[in-house]
Parts: sequence; structure tokens; C-alpha cells
Amino acid sequence: MASHSALESTIDKILSNTEQSILENIRSGLDDSQQNLDNAIPKLESEYDKIISDGEKEADKIAKQITGSSDIEARNKQLMALEDGVNKVFSQALDQITNSDRSGDYSNLIKTLIEEATQILGTSDILISTNAKDKDVVQSVLSQFSGAELTSDTFDCLGGIRVKSKDGTMTFDNTLDARIDRLKPLIRKEIAAKFGVGI
Amino acid sequence: MTAEGGVQYSKIAEIKGPLVVVDDVENAAFDELVEVETTEGERRLGKVLEVGNGKAIVQVFEGTTGLSISGTNAKFVGKVMEMPVSKEVLGRVFDGLGRPKDGLPDPIADKFVDINGEPMNPEQREYPKDFIQTGVSVIDGLMTLVRGQKLPIFSGSGMSHNLLAAQIARQASVVGTDDDFAVVFAAIGVQYSEAEYFRRSLEESGALKRSVLFLNTADDPAIERIITPRVALTVAEHLAFDLGMHVLVVITDMTNYAEALREISAAREEVPGRKGYPGYLYTDLSTLYERAGKLNGRKGSVTQVPILSMPSDDITHPIPDLTGYITEGQIVVGRDLFRQGVYPPINILSSLSRLMKDGIGEGSTRDDHSEVSNQVYDAYSRSQEVRALAGIVGKAGLTEIDLKYLELGDTFEKEFLTQATDENRTIEETLALMWKIVSKLPKNEITKIKDKHVEKYYKEE
Repeated sequence: MASHSALESTIDKILSNTEQSILENIRSGLDDSQQNLDNAIPKLESEYDKIISDGEKEADKIAKQITGSSDIEARNKQLMALEDGVNKVFSQALDQITNSDRSGDYSNLIKTLIEEATQILGTSDILISTNAKDKDVVQSVLSQFSGAELTSDTFDCLGGIRVKSKDGTMTFDNTLDARIDRLKPLIRKEIAAKFGVGI
Repeated sequence: MTAEGGVQYSKIAEIKGPLVVVDDVENAAFDELVEVETTEGERRLGKVLEVGNGKAIVQVFEGTTGLSISGTNAKFVGKVMEMPVSKEVLGRVFDGLGRPKDGLPDPIADKFVDINGEPMNPEQREYPKDFIQTGVSVIDGLMTLVRGQKLPIFSGSGMSHNLLAAQIARQASVVGTDDDFAVVFAAIGVQYSEAEYFRRSLEESGALKRSVLFLNTADDPAIERIITPRVALTVAEHLAFDLGMHVLVVITDMTNYAEALREISAAREEVPGRKGYPGYLYTDLSTLYERAGKLNGRKGSVTQVPILSMPSDDITHPIPDLTGYITEGQIVVGRDLFRQGVYPPINILSSLSRLMKDGIGEGSTRDDHSEVSNQVYDAYSRSQEVRALAGIVGKAGLTEIDLKYLELGDTFEKEFLTQATDENRTIEETLALMWKIVSKLPKNEITKIKDKHVEKYYKEE
């Protein structure tokens, strides 16, 4: 009996020790887990912040892409519409010039154009060519320019003259087409301003 | 601009390379714009290089291929080359001569400006001291770009400088102000695919609406390359000084510009200087680089980032050499880093921004910026020495502190230097990364930073 009691006591002791050890381990495990959890929280928070901040950056980038490309698209459409309008104004103006009356002040204009050309070329020995419509007007003012001759050739233009030195080395284009071409960028601005753009 | 046109001359004496010599010319002016008309009626632009004794030497921008002495006419337009400028140029794509390349009409111009610009009155210049954030950590943190500065990127053939250029153009911004910001991007002699990449990259990021692109591709005539940076800078000056915007001008590749200059110089039979470049290369480059700056009493600024590829990676080559004399520092792209696959492969030990000290610190970036940047430079430099030593004695022969520096070097390259091409880091993120690198060192190794900053930002791992 006595040996049974000693055995039971030993077993109880072992059980108690084991229980203590297990409880100790569980407690330490719990503490470790708590510690790990506490340590993980700032990391998680920083990871969370990073994900949110990356997401916000990405959203911002996509928003910029969308607004940027739609702004550009809208602006391009506006530019094309404006250009259409400007071109229409131009073509109507050119039609008016083509059909304008060649009498009256027009001969004064031709005279001014010849004077300008002789001055720029630095010679009065010149050959003048023009379109079929203006030929008579040019001929009528030619007597005022000694050394100037009108060629029999004509070419297509809105009006005005093309002047060549008699030695053939220099040419000066003083047609209305050339003058409009040169001033077109400025005229475009004026027309665009009428449409309320670029004021 | 007037309605009066110019005289057309038909006596062509000689066509030599990109030059046309016109005879019996009176009243032509230096730099005057010339329209050269071919026998087929095609018109090409050029400018007068020399005039005298009844002759004018005309440099034809679009090349002289197909021109013949008989039948070619040269019309002297009576004005220098001008660029139409207005705010409308933003969001547009032009070719190397400033003509629309995006299928849209010419911009409605506020005014027409001589592309050679007007020299800035030195007395009126304002010292550059405001920070520009590029979103690229290595630049913002260690070689900070300042508004009005000219900071070139020295690269080499085949390296990723164009990716970097596009990234800077997409991401650059001014922080702490509501002032308008614009990017003028001039590509000189780049491949078609690169030009497309620049255009698409800005378009897709939404940055195109605040940008202007001038694209001169490799198959465009070399002579056009002389004009491309000038038209780009003319637009930049208008946006900056007339419209009050802060403008970043990115020009790539200046080597192609210098080579076009050499081509003209050779055709003019001028006495060649170093490597065949004209003796006036320095003066010519300065006429471009010196167009960067800020003016007293004006709101805007022009900042330049010219990019040049050094032939054979030779930093003593005349182009980087002379560029370095004019600009305020340099960013050097390193071949070794590039081979390691690092992007952006910037070699910080050869790079420097001379105006950085005035653009950083309290009120601009952060009060610890200068000190932490010095410490990072110092530590990375030491890590390179340790790396070289480890190559000889092996890691086992290194001390504990050497190993820390070695680790720091790796972290620097992998976490700070390396950045995705679409990663836009704020200056705060960049400074945090710099502190992460510094925190790899024990506190007693930190000698360049004040204790109060160490206490605040140092995080021992």
C-alpha cells in the first residue's frame, strides 16, 4: 500500500510539474504572441498607410491621365473648329477680292505695288507680269515707270504683280496672294479674336 | 511682320554640303531667313551665314539634296527666323523647325519672336534658389535642381538617359507655390521610336497639356538640329517671362546638336578645333545654356536640363568638357550601374549640383536635407572603397564597420537609387529613404549631421 501511495504521490508531482510547465509555456507563448502582435501593429499600420498612399498616388495618376487627355482632346477640337471658322472667313474674303471691281482706286494700288517693287529690287529696268484680269490696269499705269515692261505671259493670282529684273537674276512677288500669305498669321489672330479666342 | 516680301535671286553660284552660295545679292542681312525653292517648286528654309562681295552663304535647314545650280531660287525674306508664341503652344507637338507635327493648325500667335533670343542682362539676373521636385530621389536628394539653373545630364551611348529625361518631364513640379509650371521638351536627332516614346509618355501621363514638344528625328536633316533648341528656348522664354510660368526645358541630345554644328563648320572650311568641332563651340553652346535663368521683377523662370551622350563615355570630350564650363554642375550617368541594371544609373560621386545649397533646407525642402545629403555622399563614397577592398581581401577580411558600409552601399543602390520609371517620389519620401540609409550606420559614424536631427530622424535597425 505504502509503495502505491508513493507512486501516486510521484505521479501527482510529475503531473503538477508538467501542468505548471505547460501553463508556463502557454503563458510565455501568450506573452510572445502579444509582443509579436504589438510589434506587428506599427508595421501593419505603416504597411496600411503605404498601401493607402500608393493607392491614392495611383488614383491621382489615373485622374491626371484622364483629365489631361480629355483636356487635350477638347482643346484640339476647339482648335480645329476655330481653324475651320478662320478658313471660312478667309475664303469669303478671297472671293470678295477676286470679284472686286478693278476700276477706281485699284490702279493706284497697282502703282504703289510697282513703286514698292522697283524700290526693293533697286532697279527700274523691270519686267512685270500679272493675271489676265489686271493686265489692262497694269498697262494703264506703266507709262509712269520708265524702263518697265509688261510681259505677255499671264499667271493665276488674286491680283497684283510679279516683277523681275531685266537681267533675270532678281524677282519680287508683289501679288495680293503673296502679301496675304505673309500677313496671314497676323490676320488669323485678328479673326480668332473676333471669335473671342486669344483676346 | 510686314506685308513686304523679300527678293528672290536665281543666280546660285555653288552648292556645298548644307550650304548654298547665292551670287549678285544686295541688302541681305546676317541670319536673315531664306526660302530656297527647288526646280519642282518645293520650298526649304535656310538662313544667311555670311554676306559680302555680292555673295551670300545660305545654310539650308532641310538639306540640299536634290538642289541644282540651275533652276533653284533663293528668296531672302527680309526677317530673321521667328517662332509664333502664345500659351496655345502648350499641349502641342512641333517638328525641329517649330512647325506643327500633330496634325493641328499653326497656333494663333500672340507675337512672333526671333529664335536667337535676347541675351539676359546680367545685372537683371536673379540668383536661382527655389527647389524643383523631379520625383527622382537621387536628383532631388543629392543633386537638387533649382529654378533657373542649368544642370546637364552626361550620359553615354545606349544608356537610359532618354527614359530619365521623359520621367523628369512627366513628373517635375514646383512645390509650395501655385505658380504655373510647364515643360518644354526638345528632342534633337533622336530615333523615331524614342520621339514616339516621349510623345506617348507625356500624353498618357496627362503631362502633355502642360508641355510643348519639339521633335527632330534622326532622319530629319542634320542642319535642322541647329534650330531645334533655339525654337524650344524661344517658347520657354515666352512662357516664363511673358506669361510668368516656371519652365523646365529638357534638351536631348546635345551631342547631335554639336555634330550638326561641326558639319556646317566643315562645309564652310573653317579651321577645326578639338576633334573637328569648330573653335566657337564654347561660344555657341553658351548662347543656348545661358538662356536659362530668372530675371528680377519677373515671376517666371527657365530651368535647363540638357542631356548629352559622351562619345566613348569620355568626360574630357569637347562637348561635355565645354558644357561643364558653362553649366552649374552635372548629373553623370554611370556605365557600371547601367550594366548592373540599376535605373536611374546615376553615379553620384561624379555628379554635383552647384546651386543645390541655395535651393534646399528650411522653407524649401527640410532643415536636415543638406546634412543628410552630405552624410549619404560620404557613406556611399566609403562603401565604394570598402567594395574595392572586398574585391581584393574578400568579405572575411573586412572589419565589422566595413561590412556595415558595404551593406549601406547595397541598400543605397537597391532602395534609394533604384526607382521605377513611373515612380514619383515626394521630397519627404526621398529624405525618409536617405535617413534609412544613414540609419544603417552606428551613431558614432554619423559625423556630418547635427545631434538634434539624428535624434529626430535616426532609426536604428
